[in-house]
Amino acid sequence: MRLTNRQVIGWLEAAPLTLVLLAFLIAPIVMIVIVSFWGATEFSIYPAFQLDNYEFLFSSPVTYKVFGATLKYAFITWALTLAIGFTVAYFMAFHVRSQTVQIALFLVCTIPFWTSNIIRMISWIPFLGRNGIANQTLISWGVIDQPLEWLLYSDFSVILAFVHLYTLFMVVPIFNTMMRIDKSLLEAARDNGASGLQTLLHVILPLTKPGIMIGTIFVVTLVMGDFITVRFMSGSQRANVGRLISNDIGLLQYPSAAATAVVLLCTVLIVIAILLRFVNIRKEL
Amino acid sequence: MEKRSRGFYVLAAFFGLFVLFLYGPILTIGILSFQGPQGGLTFPMNGVSTYWFRDLFQEQAVGDIWGAFRRSTMLGLMVMITTVVVSVMAGLAFRKRFAGSGVLFYAAITSLVIPSILISLGVGLIFNQLGLKIHWATSGFGAQLTWTLPFGLLIMFAVFNRFDKSYEEAARDQGATAWQTLRHVVLPIIAPSLIGVGLFGFTLSYDEFARTLLTSGSYNTLPLEIFGMTTNVTTPVIYALGTLTTAFSFAIIAAFLLGAWIMGKRRARLGSDAGKGL
Amino acid sequence: MAKPKVGYSRRSLLRAGGAAVAAAAFPAPMLWAQETKDITLRQFGTGVSNLNDVAKKVKEDLGFKLEMTALDSDSVTQRAATQPDSFDIADIEYWICKKVWPTGNLQAMDTSKIANYDKIVGIFKSGKLTPDSEIAQGTAPSTVGFVDGPDGRTFAKEETGWMTLIPTIYNADTLGIRPDLIGRPIESWTELLNPEFKGKASILDISSIGIMDMAMVCEAMGEIKYGDKGNMTREEIDKTMAIFTEAKKNGQFRAFWKTFDESVNLMASGEVVIQSMWSPAITAVKSRGIPCVYQPLKEGYRSWGGGIGLSKSLTGMELDAAYDYINWYLSGWVGGYLMRQGYYSAVPETSKEFMSENEWGYWFEGKPATGVITSPTGDKLADAGDVRDGGSFYERMGHVACWNSVMDENQYMVRKWNEFIAS
Repeated sequence: MRLTNRQVIGWLEAAPLTLVLLAFLIAPIVMIVIVSFWGATEFSIYPAFQLDNYEFLFSSPVTYKVFGATLKYAFITWALTLAIGFTVAYFMAFHVRSQTVQIALFLVCTIPFWTSNIIRMISWIPFLGRNGIANQTLISWGVIDQPLEWLLYSDFSVILAFVHLYTLFMVVPIFNTMMRIDKSLLEAARDNGASGLQTLLHVILPLTKPGIMIGTIFVVTLVMGDFITVRFMSGSQRANVGRLISNDIGLLQYPSAAATAVVLLCTVLIVIAILLRFVNIRKEL
Repeated sequence: MEKRSRGFYVLAAFFGLFVLFLYGPILTIGILSFQGPQGGLTFPMNGVSTYWFRDLFQEQAVGDIWGAFRRSTMLGLMVMITTVVVSVMAGLAFRKRFAGSGVLFYAAITSLVIPSILISLGVGLIFNQLGLKIHWATSGFGAQLTWTLPFGLLIMFAVFNRFDKSYEEAARDQGATAWQTLRHVVLPIIAPSLIGVGLFGFTLSYDEFARTLLTSGSYNTLPLEIFGMTTNVTTPVIYALGTLTTAFSFAIIAAFLLGAWIMGKRRARLGSDAGKGL
Repeated sequence: MAKPKVGYSRRSLLRAGGAAVAAAAFPAPMLWAQETKDITLRQFGTGVSNLNDVAKKVKEDLGFKLEMTALDSDSVTQRAATQPDSFDIADIEYWICKKVWPTGNLQAMDTSKIANYDKIVGIFKSGKLTPDSEIAQGTAPSTVGFVDGPDGRTFAKEETGWMTLIPTIYNADTLGIRPDLIGRPIESWTELLNPEFKGKASILDISSIGIMDMAMVCEAMGEIKYGDKGNMTREEIDKTMAIFTEAKKNGQFRAFWKTFDESVNLMASGEVVIQSMWSPAITAVKSRGIPCVYQPLKEGYRSWGGGIGLSKSLTGMELDAAYDYINWYLSGWVGGYLMRQGYYSAVPETSKEFMSENEWGYWFEGKPATGVITSPTGDKLADAGDVRDGGSFYERMGHVACWNSVMDENQYMVRKWNEFIAS
């Protein structure tokens, strides 16, 4: 009897989340899958069952290229955000002693996010542009005599913006797991004569793995699903899958967008499923 | 207090650089917001003035910044509160290992990892096919929740995994009902994390672009409005907005720190044992 | 149901007043003031013409509230096609109309209720600027401007009395250049792909417009002979894209722009020295004291036009208010406002009343300015003695080579465009 009661309360408590996910996650996914088989005219979509959308998608060499580019962006961004994020989290967790200061530093890192992403992206242009601050400074220092063209509208600027936007998503979960490491473990390691590096590699790193995994999931999925950063920062010169989808949406080719979206979703889910094999999020958080 | 190691300074410097990197665009924005009245969004500066800050409070040629700001703040608050409440409830539910929890968990993970534009597209299509009106407070709200809720849920997992059950047992042993235990023991203990959940919920919502793009209906949220404004001549007024936002946020943080500092002082003076880690 | 029929018929008004009076007195709001003040019309479009000043003036002159939402051009198409409930008035371009009209989200407008219908320039009616001019290639406004009846779904070939969009604003586009950074005369569209400007050129990433710019270039280069640029065959599309993909791979383009603002910033910051551009963007660059020329080219202009359409769901008093708004729109104030930014008004003669002689001479007649020319917001745009790039209205609109287009092979073109951007 008691057990059933517990079950019922559990269901009740989980109900709001379930409802939101059903309405705004499951239903949209189902819809997208259905629509991906539909046909489109210039202006509307009509129910059908045809494989045209997928056929076109898989027969175009551009698709593979774009998926490749998407994975490339995801991987490079992941590596950079992990390196930076881990270091920053390490500093905040083990070197900043007061909780108030920790919170303050976090808030300092959050503030830029309250200025709209679009404004921040636009503002990279005067910074990285041909006559921007970066080039002017480098020229005045005598490092270069010609402005560096690749600073803006290139893979470099795209990845820079990604790292800028998403490193915090790596910092937070890593910091979170680090804070939960029992400090006596570190002392024990030190007492047993482990060097700082050894402690880092053999104690801290394994214990922060769940945080790293969660951060990885955030960063990888954010980058793979992005379309606006790539568009702004590459001056529309580069593309990722998100841009293919958003271009199609802009041109009212919803079924084609849906087909690309289904393939993207599968790719993301496969990547995440692989990541989840390495960590049991629920237990290790 | 032990002495700071050399590593501390290296890491502190790294952290400083990271913050500088985060603030790079904000600095550019800050400088350019003082453009002269004829100035544009890029260098070179065309005189120096506070013209654009005054202009920010005038009506713009295109768009309605303050209306969009109100909507975004409102939506952010709605998302924030819903996220906190729903994630706490779900977090509690998951502790009970109810039937179907595995499926729900993977749905939440999917929700976290699904590219935003899919949600936008899917929700837009559904509302369209069902003949419902999309509105930022309905479809836009729901679309944003798919992003903030799993986020909140993960934080709740982290919180409850480290939650010492003996507090609850102690409360129960002293005759507290389940609700009393929750209200007077569990919630106060997890409260600081809830502030974090709320703060993230608000930030994610306030800056969300892709999920709201196809789901906001007649009225734009702030990110969409700014994007729309770029279809006409955008003036440094958007930089002025950015600068003010940052300045305002700093003021709030300063107030927060001051508050914490005063609390600390008072606690020390009263000789309370709180915070001494008994 | 017993609501009084409001709005006015063109004929009765002309009979009552006479054209000259009508032009000055328009629009006489026909709705009762206490009723109109509760009316809100929701308009959306790009920032080009969704100006708050217009909404303010509407409140003053007509009494009802006009809510403006500015969007980027993709979202404009989407909203018009998929969210008919989210707007009352759609401010869209003619090529968007070609896509959106068949959805049935818009209703045709009765031209007998449009007071200034007779004065609308020929481009939007017969398609001809002057009786002996030829209709340019592409989705010319006249080809999608009329339908057979109030519920017509297919476009009519000539004037029928039922209009899809009431034309509001249009212009002839060409390449914008930075004369200070180029330092030599530019005369042809081919210069866009000239290796001299490698890494310093740009085109816009809106397929229906960009493809026409591309076509102008390819045709000027003599690489492709188009049957009809405005309605290409698959083969022509492939060839055009191949030429531009090649150029893109060689690093010809610094960036592609999608919003007005991006084009201004690209030009003003010196990232780009030659690109497809819109007239007010040139104005915006110039107003910052940076030299920028809207270069007339020997092959002619690529033109575009916008208009306002009414949502299918508009009925009763709101619909009457919308007609009042349209009549007001064509009565001159907005036209003058837009013309002083470098666009053209659909009824130039009414706009004349709202412009100084100097402004009219400069913007419309292509005469040297007799005094300083300022924008509606007060920025200085030209000095005394300056002449508008490209000259008078008839010189500019008379040299339109093509209109922004939606082709029969549009879906194919769009896919190719997507590939071009991704390549």
